[in-house]
Amino acid sequence: MPDLTTNYLGLTLRNPIVIASSGLTNSAEDIVELDKNGAAAVVLKSIFEEQIMREADHRLKKAKEDGLIYSEYSETLDYIDEHIKEKELGTYLDLIRNTKKKVMIPVIASINCISAMEWTTFARQIEDAGADALELNIFVMPFNFDQNSIESEQVYYDIVNKVKDLVSIPVSIKISPYFANLGRVILRLEEHGADGIVMFNRFASPDIDIDALKVTSAQVFSHRYEIANTLRWTAIMAKQLKMDIAASTGIHEGEDVIKMLLAGATVTQMASGIYKKGPEHIVEVLKFVNDWMEDRGYNYIDQFRGKLSQGKVDHPEVYERMQFMRYFSEIK
Amino acid sequence: MENILEYLKEERSQEWRAEIRKSMKAKERTSRERVKMPEEDPNVRNKSNIEVNSGLPIENAILEAQRCLDCPDPTCMTGCPVGINIPKFIKKIETKDFLGAASVLKETNGLPAVCGRVCPQEVQCESTCFYTIKLKKPPVAIGYLERFAADYERESGKMNVPNVADSNKIKVGIVGSGPAGLAAAGDLAKFGYDVTVFEALHEIGGVLKYGIPEFRLPNVIVDVEIDNLKKMGVKFRTNFIVGKTASFDDLKKDGFEAFFVGSGAGLPRFMNIPGENYNGIFSSNEYLTRVNLMNAADPDYDTPVISGKNVAVIGGGNTAMDSVRTAKRLGADRAMIIYRRSEKEMPARVEEIKHAKEEDIEFMNLHNPLEYYADESGRVNRMKIQKMELGEPDASGRRRPVPIEGSEFYVDVDTVVVSVGVSPNPLIPKALADLKVTDWGTIVVDKETMQSSIPELFAGGDIVRGGATVILAMGDGRKAAAGMHKYIQEKIKAN
Repeated sequence: MPDLTTNYLGLTLRNPIVIASSGLTNSAEDIVELDKNGAAAVVLKSIFEEQIMREADHRLKKAKEDGLIYSEYSETLDYIDEHIKEKELGTYLDLIRNTKKKVMIPVIASINCISAMEWTTFARQIEDAGADALELNIFVMPFNFDQNSIESEQVYYDIVNKVKDLVSIPVSIKISPYFANLGRVILRLEEHGADGIVMFNRFASPDIDIDALKVTSAQVFSHRYEIANTLRWTAIMAKQLKMDIAASTGIHEGEDVIKMLLAGATVTQMASGIYKKGPEHIVEVLKFVNDWMEDRGYNYIDQFRGKLSQGKVDHPEVYERMQFMRYFSEIK
Repeated sequence: MENILEYLKEERSQEWRAEIRKSMKAKERTSRERVKMPEEDPNVRNKSNIEVNSGLPIENAILEAQRCLDCPDPTCMTGCPVGINIPKFIKKIETKDFLGAASVLKETNGLPAVCGRVCPQEVQCESTCFYTIKLKKPPVAIGYLERFAADYERESGKMNVPNVADSNKIKVGIVGSGPAGLAAAGDLAKFGYDVTVFEALHEIGGVLKYGIPEFRLPNVIVDVEIDNLKKMGVKFRTNFIVGKTASFDDLKKDGFEAFFVGSGAGLPRFMNIPGENYNGIFSSNEYLTRVNLMNAADPDYDTPVISGKNVAVIGGGNTAMDSVRTAKRLGADRAMIIYRRSEKEMPARVEEIKHAKEEDIEFMNLHNPLEYYADESGRVNRMKIQKMELGEPDASGRRRPVPIEGSEFYVDVDTVVVSVGVSPNPLIPKALADLKVTDWGTIVVDKETMQSSIPELFAGGDIVRGGATVILAMGDGRKAAAGMHKYIQEKIKAN
């Protein structure tokens, strides 16, 4: 039987299936189920910087409406954002502690941040609560029209510097593909001390209902066809990086996992596939990977990991955009 | 509402009021300068507990009362949470009927000497005074006059003990002896109930005693009011925690028919930043309670607070000002306010900020603590502070503080007082599973009757509002007393 053991962020995982930060990883009980079905690690649901700011505003408005808090003189209200932060963080730290008590698999905490501000101090408390690693899900809006791309990228580096200074657990960075020069940004993140890169963040997308003339929310779950972009960048970056790559978005089946490993990913992160089919789907995915390896006589993953990364294939340009354009230009 | 307006109109048309209005031309009244409150020398008062404001002398009180125009539409009253008949009490002062003025105040406010001292009149009655809104001049000093009338009555030795109805022998319990509880107790005693106030601490008065320092509100002022309640038959039981010493069920078995919960917001909040658990870092509640109630300033007592030489107080509210000024009085060389927004956004009263500045308090506005450090014994000795700037306004309309990257620096401290707000006391909600509470931990009540989800339990003050002022808490207490009275009487009728 092949050995699926994988080393990710310095942690030994029993296989390359990590459950991505999502509603699936928001309670210790749910995580126990994921563990039972074979998940190798979980990334907890993110604690959101922006969400807490919005919650503070909501609370302020509600307090005024209810006339409950005499706002002009209330120190409580003056520091409501801090208190909400404290409460949310407390709940999050409890999630880490409870999960750690109930499962043996590594628990990776996740912070969704938009700045390198006071939030970074959270990292240390997360480490103290027992998280095995930290995934920073960073997204600086690419439509800040007053900020050039260098300034925008600098926020990412500042966050990594700050958090790495504060904690000794491994830190991975989850990013979107929206950069002027994505490859260079990922290299710089590694230079700044990131231990891993998670490609890519998948955002809630808007849609428009043309009958109701309303902006609506597009499909929440990913589709398997979305795998291409992650596949491309995994393959391109695999030979460039010493740090680990977690491939994310569109990975639903065992076949997708193998594709990513062949492209050079250290691990794959799954969410939508498990949302749709339940935690027991992990068993099927693992079985597929196992059978595929057995069929080809692979005993362990490193024997084929990165075999089809850009540096190893006969036509590396297949992963590049020019080749992509040429391919389509031939379609009549 | 119409009834109130009719009543005010009728009161205003009384002969004595008409005469006093005619006695001086409006122009003469409005040309007067607002009187100044006499204050102790800052360099004397910051070394003692002497009261900062010493009160208006009689002649100045009359001069100030003459500024009041006795408006046909007294807009000032709309700013008073308990609807004191402001022009009437002021005109009583103008006619030198000071005891009459006190009696008008007491029609709606059981603790005028307290409110005259600690109410934020500048955003309440004085902010809606005709002078403020129409003449754009300093308002009539309503707060100073309220205090004057109440102090005059007390010092005259002719304190009026309100009449109480014949005892109906029905037992009611009040949980907490702060302003809400005292107000409820007074009114329930007037209705003839057998009132017992249960207080968790060893002193009666709640936040008026443990929270507000002597230099701002002398204990004697509160004690006089408590004595008055005792004269009205109200019983007090100190060191009694309802929910622990005895449960509500125990008390019901003991014959208590209904309860008013005014247990306040005594649970301190912190900022959850690294090092906040080191020795020498207090919540403002603990710091002030130790000093105000437990003689912590006296090293011979069991529970002293160390008189820090470098004291940092985090926050910009009245409690922060009380804490930092207390630290100065305990001998701090450097007593600092560290507040993350600018002075303009501070929730503290303008007067408190002014007094603090006069007393050599250092203001580090637009600064926020990041981390505390300690010596080998675990005692705080240094803190990291970050400079802030103001960003976009938040939902309260105040500009949100945003950290300035790379602006961190260190300050030596040996005492830190964290004054960033409080949570409602969780004891009562925890003791009663059926009690409905909000996300804030406050008790849900009917706004008219102050009745909670448990019919025989009423509540008011900070346990309902989260963080109120003395006058609002008292208003709640009175409203709840009326609600309880109605509830009990209806229950009797139904049986």
